[in-house]
Amino acid sequence: MSSPVTLTDVAQQFAGHGPARLALDGVTLSIEAGELVSIVGPSGCGKSTLLDLVAGHTRPVRGTVDVGGTRVTGPGLDRVMVFQEHALFPWASVRDNVGFGLKNAGVPDAEREATVTQWLAKVGLTDAAELHPHQLSGGMRQRAALARAFALRPQVLLMDEPFSALDAPSRDRLHVELQDLWQETGTTIIFVTHNVREAVALGSRVVVLSSGPGHIIGEVAVGLQRPRVVESDRVVALAREVRGLLDVADQLGISAPRSGSEDGHVSI
Amino acid sequence: MSASDSPRGAVSPATATTSPAADAVAGLASTSARGSRWKKGLPILVTGLVILALWAVAAAFVDTLPSPAETARELGRMARDGELASIFGRVTVFMAVCFSIAAVGGVALGLLIGARPALDRGLSPYLAALQGMPTSMWIPVAAVVLGTSAWSLGVVVSIGAMPAIMLATRSAVKSVPPLLIRAGRTFGADGRTLMRHVVLPAALPGIMTGLELGWSIAFRCLVAGEIFSGVLSGSGSGTGIGSVIARSRETGDLTEMMATIMIVLAFTMLVDRLLFARVHHRLRVSRGLVDAGLPH
Repeated sequence: MSSPVTLTDVAQQFAGHGPARLALDGVTLSIEAGELVSIVGPSGCGKSTLLDLVAGHTRPVRGTVDVGGTRVTGPGLDRVMVFQEHALFPWASVRDNVGFGLKNAGVPDAEREATVTQWLAKVGLTDAAELHPHQLSGGMRQRAALARAFALRPQVLLMDEPFSALDAPSRDRLHVELQDLWQETGTTIIFVTHNVREAVALGSRVVVLSSGPGHIIGEVAVGLQRPRVVESDRVVALAREVRGLLDVADQLGISAPRSGSEDGHVSI
Repeated sequence: MSASDSPRGAVSPATATTSPAADAVAGLASTSARGSRWKKGLPILVTGLVILALWAVAAAFVDTLPSPAETARELGRMARDGELASIFGRVTVFMAVCFSIAAVGGVALGLLIGARPALDRGLSPYLAALQGMPTSMWIPVAAVVLGTSAWSLGVVVSIGAMPAIMLATRSAVKSVPPLLIRAGRTFGADGRTLMRHVVLPAALPGIMTGLELGWSIAFRCLVAGEIFSGVLSGSGSGTGIGSVIARSRETGDLTEMMATIMIVLAFTMLVDRLLFARVHHRLRVSRGLVDAGLPH
């Protein structure tokens, strides 16, 4: 259950008031069905904008976005987002949070209960089913968010820096669990992060974005065996290569902001 | 209390005395949820006794102010006569009906305004003006247009409490975290589903504050109506807040008035304990706002 994602010469502006600034320009990217692709880049390079486009929350000012051969025109349950903040509903139990999407999709009660129970077991939250989000640790919350997304069996899973607010041990465990879930379900996953090692550890390839406006400056294939962890020497070595691409862009001034102070630079 | 006292002046001492007691109770109820009933009840009792003592001292120095003992005797007399039950019953029924209308209408319209910016821009300034104006100013208008009846007062109370509830609901809707709305959209909620399952629960704490405000506005308006015409007292029976006020005005004897104030205080305290404080507590518990380490 997965779909290919194709972006063709996409340009998009930053949302909001004031003079229009391009967040993305000339982005062409093709992701195969069932692929796990990392997208890495400095903050403000349009990574989240790219996910919003695929999710259908916004439409591009130029270019096209296709998922499974169909043009994206709005949000849909075939493309589900996992956010940096867990974004669980604080008034609902873990069980109700995980079942939220299924309920909106019109899944019958009995089937929904079964699916929710199954996914809670997969992410190790069976005992926490009746707790509310505030009673969980950061790692457990993000697990609940993962279960909520996977329970819908989406074609494409969009992950917007989902682990960046977690402590290192929780993050390392979730890296392994995410790779397991991905291999089990075969979902197409677009994983956005500013952490280069995380990008290398998770992605089958790493797409490197640069800012001002965001565009693809390179791609690194990762052929390492799974499951990978961020500390492994090979991951670190490849991460250095990716970092090199970002540094070159920085020195060429490509990633410098177009407006603002003259000595401004983008930190990675 | 002289006849020239404004409606607001007549009511505010009652609210001023309830709030410290209510705060003390709320603080204890949340910190020692596992504690015994006795432990919970003790501070309520202590605060009550302190207030009674202060009142007794004040009554000893002021001739016109009846003492707690005299008031208690009067309360006993009112209970035997059925006047107590009559006042309590009338206030309960009237407030229950009017507040229900105000709450349902106010929350529904508030959600609508919160969701539609054009409506919000058009209506909010007028609602803010209506909320700022004492609702009791409409009572004479309603009395002339609709006649001096309990219905006419009911219309003023019901509609008068709405702007505050609408505005609080609107603000609560506007301050729902955008992330939750994005999450709701991502997971297939749209239009009414989004409103019902994401916006409404997220806005509930703010809506509750609006309902409490609406309740106190409604109650003030009720008493103002009683001072104006006493329609709730019923024409023949003479057993209502309005008749009590009229009698105290004529005789200058405040014993029955103080007894009636006690009845109203007991009523508001019951409503707070049984309704508002409970709902607030449940909302806080389900959202994890109780263990935050702050005194509640």
